[in-house]
Amino acid sequence: MILKNLLEYIGIEPGRVHFSWISSAEATKFQETAKEVVSQVRELGPAKRLVKDIPMEAA
Amino acid sequence: MNETTQQIRAAAKRLLEEGRVDCVIGYAKGTVPMQEQPYFAYTPEEAENLVWTGFCTNNLANFLIRRSGRNAILAQGCVSRNIVGLIKENQVKREDVYILGVHSPGMLDAGKIKAEFPDKVITEVEEDGEEIVVRGRGFEERLDRKKVKRNNCYTCTHRNAVLYDEFIGQEGPQTGGGDIDNVAAPWESLDPDQRWAEFESTFKDCIRCYACRNVCPLCYCDVCFVDENNPQWCGKGLEEPDVFTFHILRAFHCAGRCTDCGACESACPVGIKMRTLTSKLEKDIRELYGYQPGLDLETPTPLTVYRPNDPDVAE
Amino acid sequence: MADKRINKAELPKLLERLAQEHEVFAPARDGSAMVWSRVEPGDVLELEFTNTDLSPKGFLFPQTERLMHFKNDPEDPEGMIMEAEPGLPGKRLLLNIRPCDAKAFKVLDKVFERDEEATDVYWKDKRDKTVLFGLACKDPCPTCFCTTVNCGPHFEEGLDALLVDLGDRLLVRPLSETGERLTADLEEAGQEDTEAATAQKEEAEAAITRGVSMENIEARNVLEEYEHPCFDRIFEPCINCGTCTYYCPTCHCFDIQDETQGELGKRYRTWDTCMSWLFTHHTSGHNPRGTKKDRVRQRFMHKFKYMPIKLEGSIGCVGCGRCTSKCPVNIDVRSVVNSMNEQIGE
Repeated sequence: MILKNLLEYIGIEPGRVHFSWISSAEATKFQETAKEVVSQVRELGPAKRLVKDIPMEAA
Repeated sequence: MNETTQQIRAAAKRLLEEGRVDCVIGYAKGTVPMQEQPYFAYTPEEAENLVWTGFCTNNLANFLIRRSGRNAILAQGCVSRNIVGLIKENQVKREDVYILGVHSPGMLDAGKIKAEFPDKVITEVEEDGEEIVVRGRGFEERLDRKKVKRNNCYTCTHRNAVLYDEFIGQEGPQTGGGDIDNVAAPWESLDPDQRWAEFESTFKDCIRCYACRNVCPLCYCDVCFVDENNPQWCGKGLEEPDVFTFHILRAFHCAGRCTDCGACESACPVGIKMRTLTSKLEKDIRELYGYQPGLDLETPTPLTVYRPNDPDVAE
Repeated sequence: MADKRINKAELPKLLERLAQEHEVFAPARDGSAMVWSRVEPGDVLELEFTNTDLSPKGFLFPQTERLMHFKNDPEDPEGMIMEAEPGLPGKRLLLNIRPCDAKAFKVLDKVFERDEEATDVYWKDKRDKTVLFGLACKDPCPTCFCTTVNCGPHFEEGLDALLVDLGDRLLVRPLSETGERLTADLEEAGQEDTEAATAQKEEAEAAITRGVSMENIEARNVLEEYEHPCFDRIFEPCINCGTCTYYCPTCHCFDIQDETQGELGKRYRTWDTCMSWLFTHHTSGHNPRGTKKDRVRQRFMHKFKYMPIKLEGSIGCVGCGRCTSKCPVNIDVRSVVNSMNEQIGE
């Protein structure tokens, strides 16, 4: 919670980082959450903030 | 010389003469304007060098870590709260430290004073009641003390030491007058793009000197995460993702422990306002856990205990 | 080489001339900070300042500098080859650099260009392409002590030309062939200009009243100085950050890091500091400078004893005073060196 708030506070877009408690017995929840995260992040597009791009710097 | 300084010297002399402590940790007059020097008095004669001014801008609790022997330490509110924190974190033994509690006059911000005279050379700054006298090449001017206090001191909640073996002088007003909740987390009202712009501009001048980290009493890890190389969490250069990671992660490691002493901002040679991050974290800790660091020796820090009703991410 | 002069009103023309062949940088005000900034013809030059916050060391020895890059791909004809970095595309001129900072470059030349067979090519490339036009100090700041470390407010060594602010005009003293060539169009100075400059030099030198004495440090052998009891107290307030080393124009330690992702990678160097516990921590785990006292002593011994021995007398300090004014716990280099100089057993 605290970390999520901090990241959003510095300008990481909501929906970019997700936190969730999932037990290994909650396969369905895992699947649903994964699909949710993927779709939200896809909508936001490629991450540009806090990204270290070594290949670009090394090219 | 102010009265508190005289009383500190007398108390220090007494403690050293009686052999109650091996060393008194306080401040001595600095050799440059607007900065006093942490000082370690081992004899009654050396105790005569101790001073207490508005330019005692470090956090002396920092020097207790991994320090042997019995030490007396001069501590105002925030510093005494850090000592409480260090005792709870088993870095300092209560019986080994003799706390000389004191009231803080509100520390002054050298950066703000310099900004009043941007193209002048300041040679001396003297405190005079509600004013400060700034002298330099070809000028002498008075400033309202309230205008040039260090930012955190305006919203201080504990100017008097909260834990002490002996209190020096009179307890003064407990608060700085301002409300921390009005100024904490200044970017909360902004949208993500604006927040990122503020964040970038706040930290872009960082030169990775680690003055902020090293002056902080909370940062005492044998191997800081930025010094780790296996795995390497964070690059060592000036590339922005590395600089930003250092700052947000260091702030995060202080969550629930930071007393907003302001030593980090005073120490930074380029004037970075890293309290923009820690104020947010401490605000969340206050709101989510109802906790303020360092006020008592019993309550554990919220991020070190699990409770079933801890605020959850709920996703 | 004869002294020249230029009226302040004509400075823009000189700037234009210099900018024809160089990227020109000069100290500029940024709030209450003084920073090195690119200047173009038409910009107003700042002449009333003590010194820049950060030294110009970064022009020749950047804080973070890529040394090489590579692609770990045997199939790629261009892979498996360490590509060196291109040098500076053009020439640079640092205008209004203070004499102490210019002298610092001479000290660093001895470090980086010591061995002809193993010259630091990154330093040398930039060094050879950088011209230095210094601005003599009129009013040394309270933390300056250059006169006591073989330097001074009007020190000429290391500069291509020295400018002296004489009020409505500047004396321009060419000190190298490059300086001579770039100032060829200026009118010759009159005797009163040269005399005024000399008078200013003497006044400025006299204004520096708090300096360092080093005769005992020089006379003692290394181990004797190393065991000086002053070091038992000097280190105490130090918090082992890197502020002094990063602001210092002569400090030159650096770390080398490799970063790779997939098959692409780069090697870069970045300023390091003897204040860090990692400074000389060995992979075995042994750390010859493991305590704060060892590291603080290391810094001062290196700059004021080891370097003069290894670099034919060059002290690792030019008296700019930045470390003292920036140190968060007010460790004053003058106090330290004078303590080191005290008679042992006093």
